[in-house]
Amino acid sequence: MPPDQLVLWAGLVIGLAFGICGQISGFCLMSGLRGWWVTGDGRKVRAFALALAVAIVGSQMLEAAGLVAFSSSIYVQPSFSLVLTVLGGALFGFGMVMSNGCGARALVLLGNGNLRSFLVLVCLGIAAYIMLSGLLAPVRLALGQWLSVTPPGGGSTIGLLATAGLDPVLGRWLLVGILAAGLAAFCLLDPRFRTDPIAVGSGIVIGLLVPAGWYATGVLGADDFDPAPLVSLTFVAPIGDTLQYAMLSTGTRLSFGVVVVIGIFVGSLLTALMTRRARLEGFTRARSMLRYMGGGALMGTGGAMALGCSIGQGLTGLSTLAVASFLAVVGILGGAALALRGPLRLAPPEP
Amino acid sequence: MVPTYIREKEDDMPKAPTASAVTLSRRTVIALTANAATLALTPLGALAQGGGAWSRVDEALAIVGDADPIAEGVVLDLPAVSEDGSTVPLGVSVDRPMQQGEFVKAIHIIAPGNPYPLIATFNFTELSGRPEVETRVRLNESQTVIALVELSSGAMLVGERDVRVTVSGCLARADTYDTANLFTTRVRVPESLAAGESGEVLTMINHPQESGLRESMDGGLVPKRLIERMDVTLDGEPVFSADLHRSVSSNPYIKFFMTPQSGGTLDFTWTEDTGETAHESAELAV
Repeated sequence: MPPDQLVLWAGLVIGLAFGICGQISGFCLMSGLRGWWVTGDGRKVRAFALALAVAIVGSQMLEAAGLVAFSSSIYVQPSFSLVLTVLGGALFGFGMVMSNGCGARALVLLGNGNLRSFLVLVCLGIAAYIMLSGLLAPVRLALGQWLSVTPPGGGSTIGLLATAGLDPVLGRWLLVGILAAGLAAFCLLDPRFRTDPIAVGSGIVIGLLVPAGWYATGVLGADDFDPAPLVSLTFVAPIGDTLQYAMLSTGTRLSFGVVVVIGIFVGSLLTALMTRRARLEGFTRARSMLRYMGGGALMGTGGAMALGCSIGQGLTGLSTLAVASFLAVVGILGGAALALRGPLRLAPPEP
Repeated sequence: MVPTYIREKEDDMPKAPTASAVTLSRRTVIALTANAATLALTPLGALAQGGGAWSRVDEALAIVGDADPIAEGVVLDLPAVSEDGSTVPLGVSVDRPMQQGEFVKAIHIIAPGNPYPLIATFNFTELSGRPEVETRVRLNESQTVIALVELSSGAMLVGERDVRVTVSGCLARADTYDTANLFTTRVRVPESLAAGESGEVLTMINHPQESGLRESMDGGLVPKRLIERMDVTLDGEPVFSADLHRSVSSNPYIKFFMTPQSGGTLDFTWTEDTGETAHESAELAV
């Protein structure tokens, strides 16, 4: 099979696995943060933390083995704008609380018949494209010039430590060790999380899907003459790409991100049908519709600015140990905190 | 020799205005020809030729010369929307039955919206077999890309395709390039072919293909540095060659086909505008 098709099939399998796992476990950073900060249930946020630990270890092992080079991914940027990265992250974080879940969660929910997520996804995809290449693209480019920083070491935290005199190999494993041990301690020291096999399982599976995505595009897609772009799980541009592909497929090529999006929906739908969870749900109040639409638009806009969502920067970006990803995640958590418990606190959604 | 069906088509077109308008500009000639064609109630296809985008592009007119391009059989494969104008995959193939002994001599690619519209010229021989080529190009803006196909009979075909180019997601680019890998070449040839069977050949060279138009960080222009030519020979016999210009993407990539009757050594030569060259060779079993 030619490499480009192999990448697409691998993407479909990864999407299906994400969809099945997401439908069974309800894996979601937003629900995790709401549980942790508001309702006092820290299991889902720990599932996310465990996924992050697994993603970092797996991805860094791939790079250390010389199979992929994250410097060619979009996350490791030699210079980036603080405004786009942090503000974009914050807009995304606020938006995901408004619409009660991020883009990936909306795809999973759509699979069990939640039509509210359909509206969120359409708004997210269109807003992302408005910001990436449409009406607001000039604004994004102009903002990109502001507060631009060029961290020493080429944009990776390993490189940053190397400029401080630390050996890159030692630096990599030191960082991975500290991050993974810290995250694992946060998860596994909690008895409620430890004794919840679904939460633990979802963290491990989703975490493994990140290096699986790197492997699919970086190793399976490594054609000498036409290498696939190095990407893994992310859900802002790909949701827009999926809408675009539906409309322009005769003139565009199918990409890894689009098949992952399709795979998640199909995987979630099949799981919901088999477990009899599928049920059509919509809005009962026009005001909530406005709130969900606004959330989708903020996620699309912010995600396009920060180059990723709670999964795209929060798991995939951090797994590369890119400096920009750490800042984007600070933005996402900050935006979510504002909406969940800050002065801009939003009421729990009533669809 | 001019194939009969082309001659028939030409006979449909009234010759008088063209013949009497030697001193007129090409554009006027086309307008006159088109008007006359309307009067003569020629098929709509002939009318459409006069209105093609190529007729308004000086670079295309220079190549066309006195020929009368037929808008038929040229398939330009380009994405409808491209988010990265710096590397847009482009394929051209000629899907049209050829007369005995007639073959595609050259394909010219023109992007009228680029500062230097002529992107590349691909030269074929009888050894090239299938008239099909693939590469990656730079497109400055949304535009109609033109492919002009020269046949060995002297006839000419034209194909056009609209492309929309949007701003790129990733604009950060380094000013310096990896000098260690400069001029590293890669080729992929079929392991073995039956005599007369056509096989695809992929070629690539690591090169920045600096257009001389790109601004560096300090505001100046990065000096021009281009791979201008690629030649492919089989035991000294020319198979395929390409003239590359500023709008070919960095790390020039070319895919073409060949239909050898016997095996031998394929030699690839790339020539930079400084005169420096890179070589690669591969054995081909037939």
